[in-house]
Amino acid sequence: MTEKINQVRVAFDIEVSKAVNVDELEQVRVKFLSRNGAIAQLFEDMKSVPVSEKPALGKLLNALKNDAQVAFDERKKTLSQSQEKPTSSIDLTLPGRPKPIGTKHPLTQTMDEIKKIFMTMGFSVATGPEIETDYYNFGALNFPPEHPARDMQDTFFIAKDVLLRTHTSPVQIRTMEQQKPPVREIMPGRVYRNEAVSARSLVSFHQIEGLCVDRGVTFSDLKGTLVAFAHQFYGKDVRFKFRPTFFPFTEPSADMYISCFLCKGKGCRMCKFVGWLEIMGSGMVHPHVLQNVGYDTEEYTGFAFGMGIERIACLRYGVDDLRLFYENDVRFLQQF
Amino acid sequence: MKISHNWLKEYINISLKPATLAENLSKVGLEVGGYEDLAVKYEMFVVGEVLERAKHPNADRLSLCKVNVGSEVLDIVCGAPNVTAGQKVPIALVGATIPRNQHDPEGKSFALERAHIRGIQSNGMICSAYELGLGDDADGILVLKQSAKPGTPFSKFLGLSDVLYDMEVTANRGDWLSHIGVAREIQMITGKKASLPRARIKESATLAKKHAAIRILDKQKCRRYSSRVLKNVKLRPSPQWMQDRLQSVGLRPINNIVDVTNYVLMETGQPLHAFDYDTLAGHAIVVKCAEEGEKFTTLDGKERILRSDTLMICDGEKPVAIAGVMGGANTEISEGTTTVLIESANFDPSSVRRTSKYLGLSTDASQRFERGVDIEMTLYAANRAAELIQEFTGAEVLKGSIDIYPKKARPTFVSLRVKRTNKVLGTSLSKQEIISLLGRLELTPAAQTKETVKFRVPSFRYDIVEEIDLIEEVARAYGYDNIETKTRMTVDFSKPLRTNSLQDEIRNYMIGAGFNEVLTYSLQDRMKGHLMADKAVEVLNPVSAEASVLRTSLVPGALTVVQHNRSHGQRDLRLFEIGSVFGLRGEQPGSTLDAYVEEERLLVLLSGNVISAQYGSEHRATDLFDLKGEVQALLSKFCLDKYRFIYYDSASALIESALAVEINGTYAGFLGEVGKSIAQGFDIDGALFVCELRVADLQGGWTTEKKLIPLPRFPSVRRDLAFVVNTGMQHETVARAIREAGGTLLTNLVLFDLYAGDQIGAGNKSLAYSLEFQPLDRTLTDREIDAEVLRIVKHVEATCNAKLRAL
Ligand SMILES: [Zn+2]
Repeated sequence: MTEKINQVRVAFDIEVSKAVNVDELEQVRVKFLSRNGAIAQLFEDMKSVPVSEKPALGKLLNALKNDAQVAFDERKKTLSQSQEKPTSSIDLTLPGRPKPIGTKHPLTQTMDEIKKIFMTMGFSVATGPEIETDYYNFGALNFPPEHPARDMQDTFFIAKDVLLRTHTSPVQIRTMEQQKPPVREIMPGRVYRNEAVSARSLVSFHQIEGLCVDRGVTFSDLKGTLVAFAHQFYGKDVRFKFRPTFFPFTEPSADMYISCFLCKGKGCRMCKFVGWLEIMGSGMVHPHVLQNVGYDTEEYTGFAFGMGIERIACLRYGVDDLRLFYENDVRFLQQF
Repeated sequence: MKISHNWLKEYINISLKPATLAENLSKVGLEVGGYEDLAVKYEMFVVGEVLERAKHPNADRLSLCKVNVGSEVLDIVCGAPNVTAGQKVPIALVGATIPRNQHDPEGKSFALERAHIRGIQSNGMICSAYELGLGDDADGILVLKQSAKPGTPFSKFLGLSDVLYDMEVTANRGDWLSHIGVAREIQMITGKKASLPRARIKESATLAKKHAAIRILDKQKCRRYSSRVLKNVKLRPSPQWMQDRLQSVGLRPINNIVDVTNYVLMETGQPLHAFDYDTLAGHAIVVKCAEEGEKFTTLDGKERILRSDTLMICDGEKPVAIAGVMGGANTEISEGTTTVLIESANFDPSSVRRTSKYLGLSTDASQRFERGVDIEMTLYAANRAAELIQEFTGAEVLKGSIDIYPKKARPTFVSLRVKRTNKVLGTSLSKQEIISLLGRLELTPAAQTKETVKFRVPSFRYDIVEEIDLIEEVARAYGYDNIETKTRMTVDFSKPLRTNSLQDEIRNYMIGAGFNEVLTYSLQDRMKGHLMADKAVEVLNPVSAEASVLRTSLVPGALTVVQHNRSHGQRDLRLFEIGSVFGLRGEQPGSTLDAYVEEERLLVLLSGNVISAQYGSEHRATDLFDLKGEVQALLSKFCLDKYRFIYYDSASALIESALAVEINGTYAGFLGEVGKSIAQGFDIDGALFVCELRVADLQGGWTTEKKLIPLPRFPSVRRDLAFVVNTGMQHETVARAIREAGGTLLTNLVLFDLYAGDQIGAGNKSLAYSLEFQPLDRTLTDREIDAEVLRIVKHVEATCNAKLRAL
């Protein structure tokens, strides 16, 4: 019975607020407040409830009846006032004059959001050139010459020792060469890989890398920082795991996974039915890298991480063809 | 890389379930991409016995079979010509997933349903080898041996009980490219011991050394060469179990000799090669580099041109194999082979990698040598292969191995500091815990002090050379999950944070102004790349012609975007992009960055109507001054008064009616209308206006520090003036004259009307200006203003050949 009374209350509130003129309001009155209306019917139903429940229910029902009457009267006053006004010569339903709506590219939006989270953690933004030397892209990052690790990143070459950077990691080296620790930088930018173009792979894409070097920075801090980021970006309830992997410029290295935010880890198409999504690579900066920029490796340790923006944007927006990002169809852009 | 569960069990006792094993291997960095349990591969497939075969009443080529599947007898329609009563055949029951569809061009799998075929119900399917994924024969059904029992699950009939793991091996761990390597990783997880079987050989009295001479001439590139010689070898197929095993990891069985070399490769990670001994001139092996340009035909029948740094295996006269990559056709094992020389060598990783890259030839052997192979494995692998060949063929193994090992590798010792380990990992492990963790990886303490342990590194872990490598092993063995996720961290604020970026500000401004941000490819085809500049940076190894030149301007990319949108009905466009463009500083690409120009640009584009069609206001096509206005607003916002426009006389085919933009006196970019012929090249027929500016110059003019100018305390006065001038007279000239005469008192000047028509005579136009005078120290009297206005009128009339027009 209590539930019934509440249902009628909710239904009445909705219909009163929906009524836009006196005629419509009258229909609401008939439906609820008239002799045969819903509220009268409730009083009728009261007769069959046990005596013990009558006082409480009676109170509830009377309150409903009073509230409904007050709400009805007020609405009636408002509606009749507005109708008393002389009809304006202006058709207020005409559309407003449209203004163009500007939009930030979904990749920029994703990048900005990631940047913002790290900036609140005290990271600054650094950038570097897209045409790079072999030294900055590979050598300084502890890729030995003639090593299969170089095959991990198929490279576009421009000239001897000059190439299109395959990751934003060269900016790590440039940043560290220019400043002493502490370093807390994030490095967004465009990178290039010599791969066949398809819905899942393009010859260039965007990355954000991060670097933190200071006294006393540990693998524990790496985990903590990246988990804090993931909770901020993907939601407080995502679970995470770190798995060993290999990058020449970090050791130990770790791939970070989060529980799939679409299926909550149960398995779906997006996570290829494993319940986990790989979201970034990370690791403790290799001592050789720190040596290459002249840092004292006994005094300083650090961590680095990197993620692909296109991949993250695909996951967030449900885009399954990377090429859409570069087609720039305004009907696509204006959705974001 | 495929790894077989049953095969692993040859080297280590495994009690973990496949799912758990896969998860645990991933936890230590040996990522299992997936695994296939063969026991459930043929779910819903059983052995059947064809009891009767009758012709299908409605189709000549179909037969109607009664098939005993153990529990019942099914009616099955079959289209194969070779089906007869009495056969034992594989039956797919309703609900089975048929691995390959022979009617599908790509052979996609499909789910079998109960079907009516030409009016007769079929309750299953008799399968071909192709459909089962067991072979390429799709013409007839697969007939099983007569002893097969109806109703037996098909996996069981095939003896399938293995689990195959798909391993994703990282570039640093070549040792994982073998079953023993993976078994050792399981040893770290479970603590159970992993080991290779001992190779037991019955040697003959004849000395191998007397029958073959081996010399290494290039000791840098070939670090060890071990060999065994076997006589009276009989070439035949290898035993079924070995064929099955090789097939399970994706290798095609060939003959017992080649199969053994492949088996030992998959077992130990040591690549082997078998030569037909009788084809080796002088029964000799000489390891040396090739002659530049020398030709050589590899096993795959292809002729290869060698370089002087290509390491070759030669006999007394000629090359017989490309070291570590592929053997030659000239000494290949063949029908007539009776004596075999087994090569088990260790080659320099970078040499093999160079050769493999240069030849464009990547093999199971080269992939392993590139990553590194355990130098102490060669002898065992040669013996193991000899053992298996002897077992299969009864061959005579000559006495002794030939093992040329010019510079024996000394064992590696690496020291680890306990404190340092904890400092990197954020753990608090004790020395004893570390020793116990690393012990499972066969890293044994050779010496220790209170703080430091010196570990002896096993030869198969050639990737461990320094302390950080051991720290990583500690982290893996301890488990990444067990390392604390620390959410408190100190941040040093001694350096100011760089937070504001002009690019971000410009983006936000442009979005507020109603523009859509685009991002376009920076690698373009040659036409687009050279559209705005003669010299462009080209990629030496492009993946396609469409992505071979780095963009020299953001304009061509923007035109592509307009083209796409117009072809999809979107004509009113307001676009911008911020991105890098590239160029050559000199004539040629150089080997340093000085040879290249890389700069960020801002592109703004307008096309179509100013505002889309709507009631109450006329919509009109965008013109140059709409764009100029947008750019003016942008520049005024960011660069205040530090910019100006320069007007060109000549227009180019690219950009018609162009204006140059100067910021702080330097050229920062241009704006104008895209030339008709260029636009047509992108199928664009309407007018298109673009502006491209250098972000660095905007940055240079960006005014972030602002000081208040006190607001005027006295009222300003406005007066309107209109001048009739020749059509050729420019607004800028008239405005300059007004400003000159008006001096500091004139604070604002707006052109509010432009008129040409009968009232003022042909060849003339009228420019109407609103002038605002703002005194700083007093209120202006009417007389003062009149005098000021008169002075301006006189000056303009005198310098601009103008006449004041009565308003
Ligand atoms: Zn999912």
